[in-house]
Amino acid sequence: MFALLVLLTLSGSHQVHAQFLHPKIKSKETTIRRVVVLPAKVNVVRDSMKGPEGMAAESDELSARVETMVAEVLSKQKHVTTLSTTAASTEGDPQQKFNVADFQTKFDDLLPKIMKKRSDVKKGRFSMGDEVLNLNVEKGADAVVFIRGEGKKLTSGKTAFKLLVGGTPAYLRLQIGIVDARNGEVLLYTDPVFTGDPTTAVDRLRKALEKGFKKLPEVKAQ
Amino acid sequence: MTKVTIVGASLALENMFPRKLTNLIVAALYFCIVFSSPGPVALAQKKTAPVEATPPPVREEFKFGQVDLEVLEQADLLDLRLERDGLVLADESANAYLRRVGQSLIPRGLELERVSWRFRALRDPQPNAFALPNGSVYVSTGLITLVDNESQLAAIIAHELTHVMRRHTYVHNRSNRKKFLTMNVMSAIGAYAPGGVVGAVITAVTTVAPFIMIATIYGYSRDLEREADLKGIDMMISAEYPPEEMVNVMKLLDKDIEGENVRLFYNDHPSLDERIKYLSSYLGARADKVTHQMELNRERAAYFRNMESVMRQDLQLAINAGRFRSAVYLAQRLVDFHDDSENLFWLAESYRALGPRAPQLTEKELTNSAKKDAAKKREKRTVEEEERELLATAAGKDNWQRHQQMAEELYRRALNAENPAPVAHRGLGMLYEKLGRGTDAAAEYEKYLELSPSAIDRERIQRRIVALKEKLN
Repeated sequence: MFALLVLLTLSGSHQVHAQFLHPKIKSKETTIRRVVVLPAKVNVVRDSMKGPEGMAAESDELSARVETMVAEVLSKQKHVTTLSTTAASTEGDPQQKFNVADFQTKFDDLLPKIMKKRSDVKKGRFSMGDEVLNLNVEKGADAVVFIRGEGKKLTSGKTAFKLLVGGTPAYLRLQIGIVDARNGEVLLYTDPVFTGDPTTAVDRLRKALEKGFKKLPEVKAQ
Repeated sequence: MTKVTIVGASLALENMFPRKLTNLIVAALYFCIVFSSPGPVALAQKKTAPVEATPPPVREEFKFGQVDLEVLEQADLLDLRLERDGLVLADESANAYLRRVGQSLIPRGLELERVSWRFRALRDPQPNAFALPNGSVYVSTGLITLVDNESQLAAIIAHELTHVMRRHTYVHNRSNRKKFLTMNVMSAIGAYAPGGVVGAVITAVTTVAPFIMIATIYGYSRDLEREADLKGIDMMISAEYPPEEMVNVMKLLDKDIEGENVRLFYNDHPSLDERIKYLSSYLGARADKVTHQMELNRERAAYFRNMESVMRQDLQLAINAGRFRSAVYLAQRLVDFHDDSENLFWLAESYRALGPRAPQLTEKELTNSAKKDAAKKREKRTVEEEERELLATAAGKDNWQRHQQMAEELYRRALNAENPAPVAHRGLGMLYEKLGRGTDAAAEYEKYLELSPSAIDRERIQRRIVALKEKLN
């Protein structure tokens, strides 16, 4: 958190990003052409003078927006096709719903380890195992995209307080992992961050995502 | 005494700093003094004497304000979120069982404003239970699997029901807002699980309602927790559940199989030891008679029969979450109750997953500092890395050999039992693959797919067969 604060303060552009690619992506042994984006889990809280308050409805809305925008950025910038997400197919099938839920949990367990040493993604250290195949995503999918995020919106009282005595600004920090759909290896990890109200700063979100995927090789048109 | 000190400090500070800054420093001082002084602890210890009368089950005088309605709205959203994210167990018979136990504890004819009772199991291997102010009571599969009988389950539910009936969430919320008690929610989670790896349920609760998360998962204030314990006992007796099971369930919760119960500010309110003491004292003062129905409700076999399917699902979740020691302990209990093919399979799976780890933690590993170190390591290392490190030691190698052998025997027993579970072939395949017995592994995988043609992991196993055959050629 402290590092994030320092980073945000030092960054003049209000946007910072780090991205790490698996050696297989760098050497082009593996190419990401088609992905399945799993439901994003982006959480924002309203920070008021009385402490943090939940923003469940806004978090859900933001999660959906981030999910759509990730697909758009991947498509427009990298020509990566997003296949239909598993969300629709889990509606009437509790087993499939639980499968997706368990896999999301597995990513949540792996995330702190990645965060501890993000650069190890470049060594191909992280994997979710071949259990990823149990997700039964569309046949042609090369990778599965996991999106997490946390952000903070300040109330006007808190904004004034921050101006007087300092403190963390409003921000959104995303954590995106792209995992090989066949063997579970973490192929890309990126964590775009921007300052500003996470619920309204749509352009900043898009720019942060564009920068976040900058290093991902573009798919050549066939 | 504390108040006097703060006022004095406040006056002195006002001469030195601007008013706003003074207020901030005073608030910080107040926070530090209140939570670092031994006052509340000493007070709670004094209160361990038997309580003659507990307050009425319902807080009649409660009037809803805007702040309370906001909390209620967040609780309703949390219900939706837990359902949508696949965290609520879709086992109608298990949820109906929880409902029956829960309803039996609620005083007859009780109508509470803005409360609609719902009892559901959560797909979470971490032993946990919480109630939302809207009347939703959740018990994790981890807790359902850990308890011994229906009475212990009732003890947990009775405690949670009291939080709802006595409007503890609202009371706690109002009190916290008045006290200006703010905290960083993410730091609180970090404190709860120093490894940084928290369950999906905790993450979900935090997201929707940080306040509810703090109150329901870390516990309310000492007084409110104590009230819930004691009222819970009254409710158990009214519903003919043996009240001493409340004490037994506390003892079960104190059993730290995974070495994760780190004593911290928020999860030590009040400590389990203290709760056991005042509950025993309260029960001694009441000296209730044990009825025939109470004895029936204490029956272990009946409870296991009702919850067997939930327990099996919990074992899968425990293994997924890396809670291998818990998985072995709980699967052994299940096999002791009913050694059918499926239960034997789960015990075999648990041993296979336990790998080079010791089945029980040593006393040294259960000290607070050792648990904190272990949590830090868990945060850094993947499961595979941990196994590789342990396998480099003599003890790790020994454990690994013994556990793989036990797993193989149990898989074989599962396959020789009546109605053998085909998944035991898959388990054997994985075991042989790890042992480097490629041909045997491929044969077991093939048997599994032959017996379970529509298995959800068909593609995964097929790929493994192909890879093994390529390697052999």
